Amino acid sequence: MILQSSNSSYLIRILTFLIFIFCLNSLYAAEGGPCKDYGECDKFEYSLNDMESLQRGAATYINYCYGCHSLQYSRWGRVANDLQIPEEIFFENLVFDKSIKPGDLMTGAMSEDSVNWFGVAPPDLTLVSRYKGDDWIYSYLRAYYEDASKQYGVNNLVYPGTAMPNVLLSLQGNQRLVCKNIPVIAKNGGEKRDEFGNTITKEKCGFLEVEEGTGVLSKEEFDTLIYDLTNFLVYVGEPIKATRERIGWYVVFYFLIFTALASLLYREYHKDYK
Amino acid sequence: MSEMAGKLFSWINDRLPIVNTFERHLSKHPVPSKVNFWYLFGALAAVTLIIQIVTGIWLIMPYSNTEEQAFSSVEYIMRDVDYGWVIRYMHTTGASLFFAVVYLHMFRGLLYGSYQKPKELVWIFGCTIYLAMMAEGFLGYVLPYGQMSYWGAQVIISLFGAIPYIGESLELWVRGDYYISGITVSRFFALHVVALPLVLIALVFLHLVALHEVGAGNPEGVDIEKYLDDDGVPLDSVPFFPYKVLNALVAIGVFGIVFSIIMFFFPEGGGYFIEMANFQEANPLVTPDHIAPVWYYAPFYTMLRAVPDPLGGLIVMASAVAIFFIVPWLDRSKVASIRYKGMYSKIALTLFGVSFLTLGYLGTVGVTEVRKTMSVICTIIYFAYFLLMPIYTKYEKTKEVPERL
Repeated sequence: MILQSSNSSYLIRILTFLIFIFCLNSLYAAEGGPCKDYGECDKFEYSLNDMESLQRGAATYINYCYGCHSLQYSRWGRVANDLQIPEEIFFENLVFDKSIKPGDLMTGAMSEDSVNWFGVAPPDLTLVSRYKGDDWIYSYLRAYYEDASKQYGVNNLVYPGTAMPNVLLSLQGNQRLVCKNIPVIAKNGGEKRDEFGNTITKEKCGFLEVEEGTGVLSKEEFDTLIYDLTNFLVYVGEPIKATRERIGWYVVFYFLIFTALASLLYREYHKDYK
Repeated sequence: MSEMAGKLFSWINDRLPIVNTFERHLSKHPVPSKVNFWYLFGALAAVTLIIQIVTGIWLIMPYSNTEEQAFSSVEYIMRDVDYGWVIRYMHTTGASLFFAVVYLHMFRGLLYGSYQKPKELVWIFGCTIYLAMMAEGFLGYVLPYGQMSYWGAQVIISLFGAIPYIGESLELWVRGDYYISGITVSRFFALHVVALPLVLIALVFLHLVALHEVGAGNPEGVDIEKYLDDDGVPLDSVPFFPYKVLNALVAIGVFGIVFSIIMFFFPEGGGYFIEMANFQEANPLVTPDHIAPVWYYAPFYTMLRAVPDPLGGLIVMASAVAIFFIVPWLDRSKVASIRYKGMYSKIALTLFGVSFLTLGYLGTVGVTEVRKTMSVICTIIYFAYFLLMPIYTKYEKTKEVPERL
């Protein structure tokens, strides 16, 4: 009797699972991704314990971004402290307004002219990594290309029609959208070849390519610069993140021990009425 | 010294029923000796409620309920208040897990017929708790005043506007302004931290008193009151303390593991617990691309969207919650537990579960033609489970329930 009932309930459980998977599959439809014309966003993996990366990112941010984009919930002293930069060095090299104190919020970016200049006020970026995501930032800052039809001569694949000029142009160099001849892939997954063994190619457009010699940095150096900058924005989005993940292991470990002890005690008492 | 303490205790006990209450509701309270893991979610719900109240009290201290400072005060809590992030993440994770635990607790009720005579009132108090929780969760969601707080509130409050005749004035009355503003935030704050918690605590008290009056159920649906020992204690029962307390302690440990993994490693829950758009301050001029409710309202939101007419949608959504209240009178089965019910009940409950989960999924994604059709189908299955219950529970073949646990 009991066996029968458990058999049928297993069947029901398996059936439930299958129906559910089937439903989800049939419902899944590709939606336009957040990186728009860029396609899939590039994957970004933060490393909040890499102080050098965060320090370089902070320097890049303050030199290139902070002029327009404030970090209004973040405090100067906290950044210096968290990034392990001695306060004197930090304030001497990265804080240009000498009246600023460590406890001040990073609100000092320009504001009034910006609406006239760009049409929109440059947004505060304290939480950009949390509402846009790190993948998005990392892709966006590397997806500018030359577009003479735009106000600043540039456009962006991730954010078409972006109001921000490419501030890092001198570092990256002139990036263009180019067409390339790419090998045609055969059904078996290999490259298609003609009768002489030459690869058959097809022209495809929309590739980003930097004109050689126009930028101060190489492609790898520029990618590292953006990596560090994104890493810094992930930090600013949630300064406690690294600590949080570190403490988390202890708490989980505590509950594992707690559960083990509780179940031993439970088992001991359970003998009374088994 | 100990004599003094003993005297003091008996002095108090003569005037306040401490020993009696402790014995009646804890140390001697008989509970069925054989239950399964489904019976632990009630205790976990109580734990989560306590977490929400305690963290809530600490969040009120630095939070500012004004239009200008609501959003920034949350960031202040996350950055400048010592361990503010712990408290805030405990509250947000707690909210999601509270619903998760309560959904499982409710499903247990449907699974083992925990609403059947004489537990109707326990069930009704439970349903009212769920209703109060939905309101509490919504009000709390507006407080950080992010984009999703604002636009979510916009959608929900405009539902009142769909009610004929009084709709528009009711909407205005709830909002306190012609659009969502600091006035709305501060009244929602008052309701979230004072009014609804009082209601919730009172309801939980009633839920427990009623439960202790009629006795807890078990997965077999056996009435343990039939066989009593010489002292009038059911033979198939054990005292709540320490046996069931220890059982709950193990559950709390496992719950703690799940809770802390979410809280410390995935506090946003992939955008389902804290939505990404809510990290942007409320902006009445910019609508987010895609307004999605938090996961625990998603099934009902899908039902709202499945009906083209706003009033119709509202009625369907409200009925979906209201119908839970009459379940004790919809179930005509002679047996309580799904173990002894027939095939129809099993199929119905399975379909109901699947449709509820699918509705939940649909509420978090954008609308397409296929999804719209699916949401209509799932809504129909959802209601069919309840409305056909009097028929399929009455005419199906049930199994014999054993006499003892």
